[in-house]
Amino acid sequence: MQVGFYFDQTRCIGCFACAVACKDWHDIPAGSINWMRIKYNETGKFPDVFVSYLIKPCYHCEDPVCIPVCPVGAITKREEDGIVIVNSNKCLGNIDCDSKCLKACPYDAPQFSEEKGSKMSKCNYCLDRFLEQKLPICIEACRTHALDAGSLSHLKEKYGDIQEADNFIYSKRTKPAIILKPKK
Amino acid sequence: MQNSENQEEIVRTSSTFDCGGRCPLRLHVKDGKIIRVETDDYEIEDEQLRACLRCRALRQYVYHPKRLKYPLKRDGPKGSGKFKRITWDEALSEIADKLKEVKQNHGNSSIFLAAGGAYLGALHDGMFAMIRLFTQFGGFSTHYGNVSSEGAVYATQTQYTSPFVGNSRTDLLNSKLIIMWGWDPARMISGSDTIYNLVKAKEKGIKIVCIDPRYTDSAVILADQWIPIVPGTDTAMMVAMAYIMITEQLHDKEFLAKYTVGFEKFAEYVLGKEDSIPKTPEWAESITTVPAETIRNLAREYATTKPAALMDCQGPARSAVGELYNRCAMTLTVMTGNVGRHGGSAAGGLMGIPYGHMFFSSRIPPPGRNPVEEGLKSVRGSLDLQLRFQARCHTNKIFDAILKGKKGGYPFDVKLAWFVNNNFLNQLGNTNKAADALKQLDYMVCSELWLTPTARYADIILPVTSIAEKNDFTRPWPSGPYFISNQKAIEPLGECKSDLRIAEELADKLEIDDFQKYPHELQALKFLIKLREDSRKNIRKIDEFRDAGIKRLKLDEPYIAFKKQVEDPDNNPFKTPSGKIEIFSQRIADLNDPENPPIPKYMERWEGRYDPLSEKYPLQLLSPHPKNRVHSELFLIEWLREVEPHVAWINPVDAEARNIKDEDEILVFNDRGKLMIKAWLTERIIPGVICIFEGAWYDPDENGIDRGGCVNTLTKDAYSPGGASALKSCLVEVKKFEGGA
Repeated sequence: MQVGFYFDQTRCIGCFACAVACKDWHDIPAGSINWMRIKYNETGKFPDVFVSYLIKPCYHCEDPVCIPVCPVGAITKREEDGIVIVNSNKCLGNIDCDSKCLKACPYDAPQFSEEKGSKMSKCNYCLDRFLEQKLPICIEACRTHALDAGSLSHLKEKYGDIQEADNFIYSKRTKPAIILKPKK
Repeated sequence: MQNSENQEEIVRTSSTFDCGGRCPLRLHVKDGKIIRVETDDYEIEDEQLRACLRCRALRQYVYHPKRLKYPLKRDGPKGSGKFKRITWDEALSEIADKLKEVKQNHGNSSIFLAAGGAYLGALHDGMFAMIRLFTQFGGFSTHYGNVSSEGAVYATQTQYTSPFVGNSRTDLLNSKLIIMWGWDPARMISGSDTIYNLVKAKEKGIKIVCIDPRYTDSAVILADQWIPIVPGTDTAMMVAMAYIMITEQLHDKEFLAKYTVGFEKFAEYVLGKEDSIPKTPEWAESITTVPAETIRNLAREYATTKPAALMDCQGPARSAVGELYNRCAMTLTVMTGNVGRHGGSAAGGLMGIPYGHMFFSSRIPPPGRNPVEEGLKSVRGSLDLQLRFQARCHTNKIFDAILKGKKGGYPFDVKLAWFVNNNFLNQLGNTNKAADALKQLDYMVCSELWLTPTARYADIILPVTSIAEKNDFTRPWPSGPYFISNQKAIEPLGECKSDLRIAEELADKLEIDDFQKYPHELQALKFLIKLREDSRKNIRKIDEFRDAGIKRLKLDEPYIAFKKQVEDPDNNPFKTPSGKIEIFSQRIADLNDPENPPIPKYMERWEGRYDPLSEKYPLQLLSPHPKNRVHSELFLIEWLREVEPHVAWINPVDAEARNIKDEDEILVFNDRGKLMIKAWLTERIIPGVICIFEGAWYDPDENGIDRGGCVNTLTKDAYSPGGASALKSCLVEVKKFEGGA
């Protein structure tokens, strides 16, 4: 089974409730470690402006490129659900291995702080909640119900099989587990 | 709260911030500490009242290292921020001595209560506690005028004589056209479920038009059409829409005849019979910059699409033209017959429905009238704002009144001021003047959770508990229908006390022997729930209410403002003098104030685009609600600060003319002050306007430049004829910051 996210870009107001809920749930201080990021895009000229937001957690790719580049095997993909997790204790840190996972990831999902020797952490699909049959905290945080999560095949059935959105490039190499409704 | 060791408990509460949402929260508490925050878990997922980012950060707010935890006494010049820790006994003894001294030497009118709405619980609203105490101490002076909404309040009192002009948010789905005029509910949570209902409306295929100087985040997802408009000129566009409706006979004559008075006078103005200026779309284009064709089309569309909801709000009414914006909007809603009908809207900006509404909030009754305000002329039913100032000053004039006192025409000389529930220095107009006033003030007490820019000027600061540390009963204000029960999650931090307790302990020091105390929160809450009819009727089982943390009311159908009045007008007249909706107001005509016209109009007052001052200060400054704070509350919370840097929105056209690039530090200035901020170049704002979100904390450097970017360093401490705090009528100039200035 492969789990994934659904994101309705036409509903996202860029409010960051998901990102703050993520920090609270996982007890991550303000700073450069952001398991959930929101990317902003603005194009056009006044008054014909186009704006979009895009969520950027870890997409828990079907073929994660972060795993083979890790020199110590700290990153694994769970067989039973496809969640990509990192054992931060094993990680060599951003200096000793030069953040190879971050360089490999097309979506900048691996997170390091600015401190020397910082170990990688990233979105773990709220594994603790997942094991209790709960959705990731970001899903329930969304005020416009723009987010969903679950098995990827289920999400495809429910929302269609679209992997494009504004400001997003689908990596055929890594196959991110996300279904999208693009803003046009 | 039962909190055995290692056991995780869920404690249900909400914030009581001065916020348009009121969202159920579930605090995870372990070993006496909040470890996580979750929001509403209502089984009907689609109707959940989901908290926004602000309350998602509540844990960091409660435990922030800068929370005040002990009483403080000033230990340096006023405003220096230097304080030393003292005991409660020392603090309250000193305050009691000062109160007695001022009372004896200057009289009770020299004791000033500056009360805001920073936390709005029925029991733990600091304002209510202080009003009770000061009333029993012989009285006090205070202020009048809600900074947020006074323009809308005055407008709705004029035309409907009711503040309950809102429809249930679910009713937006019954509309065929929604016009959001100056309204950005993505940021300013005007009802916990508002933005989601708008999303549903949009997805149902209902066309949404956003009229705003900015392409807001609401517009980003909702707008089928964005119509940028020059700030302060909304009324010109509205009047021109009326012109099209009248000249093309699109207005609902039957509705106007049956339910309104004064339309003919308004029509005379619109058609130019009064001043020889027909209010054509071309006339409006020259003022608003909105193309005449766009105005014409929207007027036709709005008049012929039934039902349609014109949603004005309170923001554009916080200006020198204040109430006229809401009055013009309300006039369009009656001209199109959309009042009292599903899918329509009565406009008026306040958006509240009378179920579980904040306006009905119970409070412990004060022991009689404030003696300082005894024997004044009644204000009941009057639209004469000056009657409000027989013993009070306008809220946006607090600091001017402190500076000038009776010599400046105010009804009192302030010798001692108590600031509770507010950060007024930061949040009212003209912050530099406010700082001067507080430097000169004889004695100042501040009840606070934080060392705010206002609190820095206090002689004594008393540390107050947060909502997590107390039980309370609260309500939403713009949109219900529900009540919230707040359960105490943790013990008070440090030596923090509730305002209720502070007042009680001070009453002892003041030797007020018969001061009514409420030592048991839960008993007091039961009393407060039973005090008001709506909560008494709807909350029968208080224990169940406290377990659930919320009582949702089920309405048979969405609530519609003035439905009764429209369906059965004979038995349900409006409460206006004429019994009808008053487009023309005789009560205003009687005031004989040329600035306050009896019919709604487009008027230029001051610091708008066409003020001659614009030659010196050519940019209009907007100061909307921030998305990551509630006004200035939550300012220090890092989880929220990192979400959005504090920047000034500026159109590249205006930036390039001043050689300003994205992220450049800029100086924004006028005769009232200067502030430094980073520029954010964006096409999302109309040229000629810059936007700085309110609530950043004032932080003046040695050259008088506010490095904190508090927008009120630039705004004016003035109000409209209807009492709107005119914070959005503000002209500035901008230049690249080169240091110094």
